[in-house]
Amino acid sequence: MAEEILRIENLHVSVEGTAILKGVNLIIHRGEIHAIMGRNGAGKSTLANVVMGHPAYVITEGRIFYQGQPLENLAVFERARAGMFLSFQYPAAIPGVQVGTFLKKSVASVRDEPPKGREFRKELTAAMEQLAMDKSFLSRYVNDGFSGGEKKRLEILQMLLLQPNLALLDETDSGLDIDALRIVAKGINEVAVDSACLIITHYQRLLDLVKPHFVHAMMDGVIVQTGGPELALELEDRGYDWLDMAV
Amino acid sequence: MNYQQMAIPPRSEHLWRYTPWPRIHPSSIDEVPIAADVIFSLEGRESFETIPQAADNFDDIARSFLHATGSSCHRMVISGQSDPIHINARASGHIAVGHLELEVKDSAVVFIHISGEPEWVGLHITGKIHPNAHLSFGFINELDSNSKFLRCEDWTVERDAELEHATLSVGGFRCKSDMRTTLNGTGASIRQSITVNAIGARHDDEHVEIQHLHGHTYSNLVMNSACGGSSHFIGTGLLTITEGADKSDASQVFRNLLLSEKARAEAIPELEVLADDVSAAHGAASAPIDRNQMHYLMSRGLNPQEAQSMIVHGFLLNAFSNLTNKCLIEEMRTRLTVHLECELRR
Repeated sequence: MAEEILRIENLHVSVEGTAILKGVNLIIHRGEIHAIMGRNGAGKSTLANVVMGHPAYVITEGRIFYQGQPLENLAVFERARAGMFLSFQYPAAIPGVQVGTFLKKSVASVRDEPPKGREFRKELTAAMEQLAMDKSFLSRYVNDGFSGGEKKRLEILQMLLLQPNLALLDETDSGLDIDALRIVAKGINEVAVDSACLIITHYQRLLDLVKPHFVHAMMDGVIVQTGGPELALELEDRGYDWLDMAV
Repeated sequence: MNYQQMAIPPRSEHLWRYTPWPRIHPSSIDEVPIAADVIFSLEGRESFETIPQAADNFDDIARSFLHATGSSCHRMVISGQSDPIHINARASGHIAVGHLELEVKDSAVVFIHISGEPEWVGLHITGKIHPNAHLSFGFINELDSNSKFLRCEDWTVERDAELEHATLSVGGFRCKSDMRTTLNGTGASIRQSITVNAIGARHDDEHVEIQHLHGHTYSNLVMNSACGGSSHFIGTGLLTITEGADKSDASQVFRNLLLSEKARAEAIPELEVLADDVSAAHGAASAPIDRNQMHYLMSRGLNPQEAQSMIVHGFLLNAFSNLTNKCLIEEMRTRLTVHLECELRR
């Protein structure tokens, strides 16, 4: 049995007093790709953010375990250093901070040993080539004035460099044209081989390129159905109304 | 009218509202104390000539006071293209005053770096950019943290000439700057950026006036301050587009980052438009660090101190983004980075 990376037990979460998640249960093992689909406002992004420790989300009940250890006492940066990664739906812009500087600092923070200059540059160049990113990216300010597609590529570039144990991908496919989607999917597949991966998406098209082992349908803060890749096809085909009936 | 005959400006005057004249004067306001000269030195082949000061025809109390201290004036005429010119202004003792006059007839990059441990230092810089000339000017204030600093600047930018003006203010305990530029010919332009790192109990008051006297003139002002501790930053800007200066374009943006509950920041951009067909804009914002930015950086492994430091660094660097001269931008960035790294080690 592969190592258990993430265990979520009866998770209830609220934001500013409003309950968003109402009892989520989920287990992800190393090497598994899970996809969560659901309507807007179902709680998908909340789940990713609360696992990563965003301060706006309050856990009112339930627990999250990462590699067998409870997460509640780990600060956000400690989660990142422990191998957790969230690809943001709307990554923050940091004006004045160059991408190259940011990546180097981030990699140095997450890895036990800071990367050596030449080795890091080599690694960075290879990852950027894989994602068809121009070197001029490195001197731009982090997400400042980036198009939607550029932001998503930068998120995946970070994931490739940080090599997480757990990758949470929050609508990484939105804003990407079909060519960019293929490139990004290739990057996800590369990381997913040796990590646990949770993909949040609205669309089947990413799941055509990144094959999930499990698909979960989320409605009103709970996972109401779990299945294989065929569930994603069914949701794409029939929408979410039939789940209302089933629930 | 000389200094002794001038009335003390009331606080109702915009310029003196937050740092009234008695707070920046080095002693008793009736006094004109004996001042030592600020020592100017040059890295490179250029040289100054020392000239007597012009007659006092100032209607402004700060300039008139600096004139009354009687120190000599250093003058430099730049008439051919050259390497960047670095002027070190060293102040020491009880009170020090310096006067500097620059005349630019071609394309030049000039840096003034003021440092030292005087109790009080005053500096008056005047500059003329001749038609079609271009000056990239960087001013770096790295005075001792106990010094008071009064700085006045008067620039004239002639037809089709350009001035890029950058300030990095990280030194001094109480600082008051009054920088005025006149766009004195069609096509004249100024891009001005001011970066202030206010730490501890620093008080930094930066006032900028830009006057568009002719049509098709351009000005762009960016002022970014990061305020921590119990510091107080004041940024005031007055852009005036005079009658007939049509097709002028003027904009100013002030941003303040508040890093502690006791820090204060005022941002007061003003526009006075007397022409009919112009483009003019201004904006101001003061806020603490965006928690989404903090969360983003921490989710990439940076601890809270590292994340804050990176955001502040980027924010301050970003003030220079309206400049175009690479040499100027690089030098200002390097100075800022060195300053912040030193601050982190303290």
